[in-house]
Amino acid sequence: MITITPPFDPRVDLGRGLVLANPIGVASGTFGFGFEAEALVGITHLGAIFSKGTTAVAREGNHPPRIAETAAGMLNSIGLQNPGVEVVARDYAARWAQWPVPVLVNVAGADISEYVAIVQHLDGVSGVSGVELNISCPNIAHGLDFATEPGAAARCVAAVRAVTTLPLVVKLSPNVTDIAEVARAVADAGADAVSAVNTYLGMKMALHARRPVLPGLGVGGLSGPAIKPLALAAVAKVRRAVGIPVIGIGGIATTADALEFLVAGADAVQVGTANFNNPQASREIVEGCLAYAEQHHLQRFTDLRWQEQDHPGSREPSLDVD
Amino acid sequence: MTPLAGASTQGLVGESDLSRAVDEAAECTALQPLQGNLFEIRFRAPEVARRAQPGQFAQIWVEQSHIPLLRRPFSFSRAQPREGVVSFYIGAVGEGSRRLRRFSPGDSARILGPLGRGFTLPDRPGRSVLVSGGLGAAPFPLLGERLLERGEQVVWVNGARTQSELYPGELVPNGMAELVQFTEDGSQGRRGRVTAGLLPSLKGADRIYACGPNQMLAALFALISESAFEEGGAPQLEVSIEAPMGCGFGTCLGCAIPLRPGAGGEGPVVGLCCRQGPVLRGSLLDWERLLQQPEHLG
Repeated sequence: MITITPPFDPRVDLGRGLVLANPIGVASGTFGFGFEAEALVGITHLGAIFSKGTTAVAREGNHPPRIAETAAGMLNSIGLQNPGVEVVARDYAARWAQWPVPVLVNVAGADISEYVAIVQHLDGVSGVSGVELNISCPNIAHGLDFATEPGAAARCVAAVRAVTTLPLVVKLSPNVTDIAEVARAVADAGADAVSAVNTYLGMKMALHARRPVLPGLGVGGLSGPAIKPLALAAVAKVRRAVGIPVIGIGGIATTADALEFLVAGADAVQVGTANFNNPQASREIVEGCLAYAEQHHLQRFTDLRWQEQDHPGSREPSLDVD
Repeated sequence: MTPLAGASTQGLVGESDLSRAVDEAAECTALQPLQGNLFEIRFRAPEVARRAQPGQFAQIWVEQSHIPLLRRPFSFSRAQPREGVVSFYIGAVGEGSRRLRRFSPGDSARILGPLGRGFTLPDRPGRSVLVSGGLGAAPFPLLGERLLERGEQVVWVNGARTQSELYPGELVPNGMAELVQFTEDGSQGRRGRVTAGLLPSLKGADRIYACGPNQMLAALFALISESAFEEGGAPQLEVSIEAPMGCGFGTCLGCAIPLRPGAGGEGPVVGLCCRQGPVLRGSLLDWERLLQQPEHLG
């Protein structure tokens, strides 16, 4: 008897008509607005591009030093340097409209009205394929407030949902008591998908100077392979909490890393800090994932997903951690 | 910093051409230990060697592991296209450079480059003065060679705190009109800072190229701005500056540098050392803000 294997379909449906050609995107803050390093990296291999955080008006960003390397990771305190939504919607979107890869604009506001205003500015703009609400930037005042309190997060998402038909991804902070609760709140408020996780709050001390390496309070966002196990746990938890697509982020540097997030329940992933030390990381991961799917006769990448019900002993750990 | 109009890195003072950069598997061909923690390391990287220009830099992925995570930026000290070899003059001061110091011939690394904007080479021969402090000597063997090839008269004024931090005279390219060495403690060459004893060497200079600590570069810029030059005006100054760098190609926004108000449009602007620099005309930098930046502690 001949068995016919249905063809492999690498696409990912994030809702509202946004279908990614493959599950591999690049994370906000690690790929600029897509064109900065286009000559070096290329873009056509990507499933999606998540832009640098965009604010209502231009921001110069924080005073240097802005980055500090840590064990298998890095801290950043860039402070949302960006030209503001007007330039993004007018100049950058016009370039994105010519691209085969969807660009989702990462949006950061100081309060709900600012999130609404920025998204209104982006709504209906050719070249803008969606928005990723950054309710969790650790490097500006108030940014974390929306992410930590499920009610506030839901109000922000509902307000934005009311003014746009764009696909709406909400980027979750791991610096919360219960990420699942925030995920449920934003899903109920109308998010089409969630991305998890943003950076972990971290510090690096300069012992010889007896002070932090980063300026101000010395706190920055930790990213890179150091956070991968933490991010996997967060993604698995979010997966159990919501039915909408989950985009996994956190220390993905190799094909295996990306596939592990799909096992944990992610529908798509974002490659972040790895873009800095290996500009070809996203390309290698796309090619690696497609090769893996072929070798393992997958029909969809979701075939990889860990089926928790197959493990009757599994349940929420009683440890008081996220 | 407060939100400002024009806080864009686009279309300011020119950007590096990333289409010329390649990420090449490179093999160490030699490592020459120098005094103190200094060394020169050579790699076989034919594509990078063919493209590298003076003042540009490479991002070296020392070990393709997670520690250290980021590549390390180093200016090209030499680039020999025919041999396919690039060299870097490095002080073993951090995790990445200490690991490079332990390299042996045959060891491999990935070299991404050339990155950044280099020095402007003159169209017509004249007199160039190179001014460097400490590890700021790194780009000048290559710049000196390329200037000499063009028939330029080249003077190099180089300084360091002490002899063990001074670029070795025997590595200086042949053919320089003059090499003046300073140490702050007088352990080699003339005693004092480069900027204190520099003026006589600047006489008749058509252009000045400088690389070193920000304090030194700022003092040099002030010196040139305040000095009375004969007809023809002050020589053109290009400086290569340093900033803590993540990616090296403009996406991490880690290496912000303050540009002079109006340098690229309305209001104060932020540039990136890796794209608008590392070499910039001295007049484009906001020196006051640059000097306010705290030292990077790690």
